[in-house]
Amino acid sequence: MSHQLRLATEADLAAIMELEKASFGNDSWSRPTMRAELMAPHTTYLVAYQDEKIVGYAGLSKVSSSSSADIQTIAVRDSHRRAGIGRELMQMLIEQASKLSATEIYLEVREDKQAPQKLYEQLGFVRIDRRENYYQPDGVAAIVMRLTISSDLKPEPVVLGIETSCDETGIGIVRGTTLLANVISSSMDQHARFGGVVPEIAARAHLEALDATLQKALHDAGITIKEIDAVAVTNGPGLAGALMVGVGAAKALAVAIDKPIYAVNHLVAHVAVDVLERGKLETPTVALLVSGGHTSLLLVRDLLNDVELLGETIDDAAGEAFDKIARVLGLSYPGGPEIDKVAKKGDPKAIRFPRGLTLPKDQDKHRYNFSFSGLKTAVARHVELAESKGEQISIADVAASFREAVVDVLVTKAINACQDNGVPRLILGGGVVANSRLREVAEARCQEAGIDLRIPALSLCTDNGAMIASLAAQKIMAGVEPSKLDFGVYSTLPV
Amino acid sequence: MTQVLLAIDTSAGTAVAVLVDGAVVSESYDANSMQHAEQIGIQIQKGLETAKKKSSEVTLVAVGVGPGPYTGLRVGIAAAKMFAEGVSSPLIGVGSLDAIVFAESLIEPTLVLTDARRSEVFFGLYHGKTAAGVPRTLIGPGVKKQAELEAELQTAGHNYLLANSQVSAANLGLLALAQLAEGTASTSVVANYLRAPDAVPSKGKKVSG
Repeated sequence: MSHQLRLATEADLAAIMELEKASFGNDSWSRPTMRAELMAPHTTYLVAYQDEKIVGYAGLSKVSSSSSADIQTIAVRDSHRRAGIGRELMQMLIEQASKLSATEIYLEVREDKQAPQKLYEQLGFVRIDRRENYYQPDGVAAIVMRLTISSDLKPEPVVLGIETSCDETGIGIVRGTTLLANVISSSMDQHARFGGVVPEIAARAHLEALDATLQKALHDAGITIKEIDAVAVTNGPGLAGALMVGVGAAKALAVAIDKPIYAVNHLVAHVAVDVLERGKLETPTVALLVSGGHTSLLLVRDLLNDVELLGETIDDAAGEAFDKIARVLGLSYPGGPEIDKVAKKGDPKAIRFPRGLTLPKDQDKHRYNFSFSGLKTAVARHVELAESKGEQISIADVAASFREAVVDVLVTKAINACQDNGVPRLILGGGVVANSRLREVAEARCQEAGIDLRIPALSLCTDNGAMIASLAAQKIMAGVEPSKLDFGVYSTLPV
Repeated sequence: MTQVLLAIDTSAGTAVAVLVDGAVVSESYDANSMQHAEQIGIQIQKGLETAKKKSSEVTLVAVGVGPGPYTGLRVGIAAAKMFAEGVSSPLIGVGSLDAIVFAESLIEPTLVLTDARRSEVFFGLYHGKTAAGVPRTLIGPGVKKQAELEAELQTAGHNYLLANSQVSAANLGLLALAQLAEGTASTSVVANYLRAPDAVPSKGKKVSG
């Protein structure tokens, strides 16, 4: 078994002292000194262990009032050298120092020990001083080295993301890949009597919801506005008038707090949200994004540099089809959850509704595109025909059969996209992911096909600001330059 | 403490001004009525630069709440709201038509008209100012077809001058200060649309003959 790292505890003192004496001989710290070091509130001590035996340890000191940190000590058992243990201990301590907002780390190393000096150099430390006769009683000089942690490449930026592309005002806050807040204010109720999102109503609602949503996000994250390192905002695709509210808000906020701004693609952000749950995005992956505004298949080879739109709906979005059919069946808005509920009591095979763009003749041009308008008409026609004949229809059967047709097309095309491109992963996003049948069928068929299926938490699947912040945080951590302040909104922004 | 006022209006083009202790030190106007989202950030940033003020020094934000074409109007209000949040300053909403006539003497009744799209105009009829210089409203703000409005005003026996209709963020800022001075400034910042959203519930249409 290989070695592992963990935080040191007082129980490790005896083992550490044993290794300390073996490593440093005359220079060893006393047991009380070591104990005090381990227990001090301003230190972080790690141990490396293998087969339950301590094989290395290292410590960092960082007092909160100072912007610098010190590597206090590091030792690796002779028999376990050259296994990368020292490097891992150092990397963890550097990460810890950076988390504690240190901007530089100092250490001293014996001049006569070449190997550790080389390691520290590889880690970015530079020699800044030499102290004669530092190590006694041997009279060996110490080399003082320093690592500067660039504030531009702060590993975990706090990013506030604003999303207003449709009917959800979303403000999310992340620190690197950690979700701090995800507040969503929806104008869904105001659209209900219209049976679909009314752009002007959505835009008005965004403007009214902004302040309260921002304040709640800051409150949930437990931070002040001054702690934000960057602002991110959706600039497309979406409803232009709605997008503009978010862009105007984000730009002014960025100027007000004097921080960079990142314009973010809404669709790619739906994929980027996965890093908040898994730390990173496994690539390549196919993404199926299904909502009231989008039905898109993306091939993501690299989240920041290589996202390809494989296909999208050529008419209605899937969520829109659910809304429209709900109206035909006399169900309320939004249609997805209502149809989902009613369909549970129906027979999905009762009526064979058409599957748009799935015929052999469609495969050339539309293998990854979707069309739901024919399905919608077929369902409406079925209902009208029954009504005109005075027949009773089973709403449950119609709902179940309709839902089955939508889900079948979505999942079939997503799996085709995975298999055609040799991609063993599928991630779902968008509000329609709430549909229980979509999840069931996706899970079953992905398992059958050996595809790893990712379904983020529903609060991260629907439109939200956290996904916008998450994508921007990824860009920042990769060193991507901020957007210029004059970017516009693009209702059909390509990925 | 120095008072630094950031004034924003996007009821027509994009207008930004910075006033320091009541004096206008920078003002910009972009007449393009389709560029608010692009312009707003740069104009605020440049306005502050010209005024040699950091954003953190802003102590008050004033914004035109319309009436004006909605999509653009919202950009300015959204920006003002978030800027005020960002620097923890109070925010004042000012009528955009009031800001326009602020520059007029208003000794005679004065009508201001702006484009409301859909062959209509936003209007306000003003006469006189308060001691602090705040325009007094006779009629409005409202939205109507221009011919209809003119006929109504004629029937009611109103004689009036026509105001130059371009809004200035500097005047909007000065008006905000006048309103503050007399205690009529509004901290409720709500877009003045004057029309309900243009949407009617559809009955759903038949697909079969």
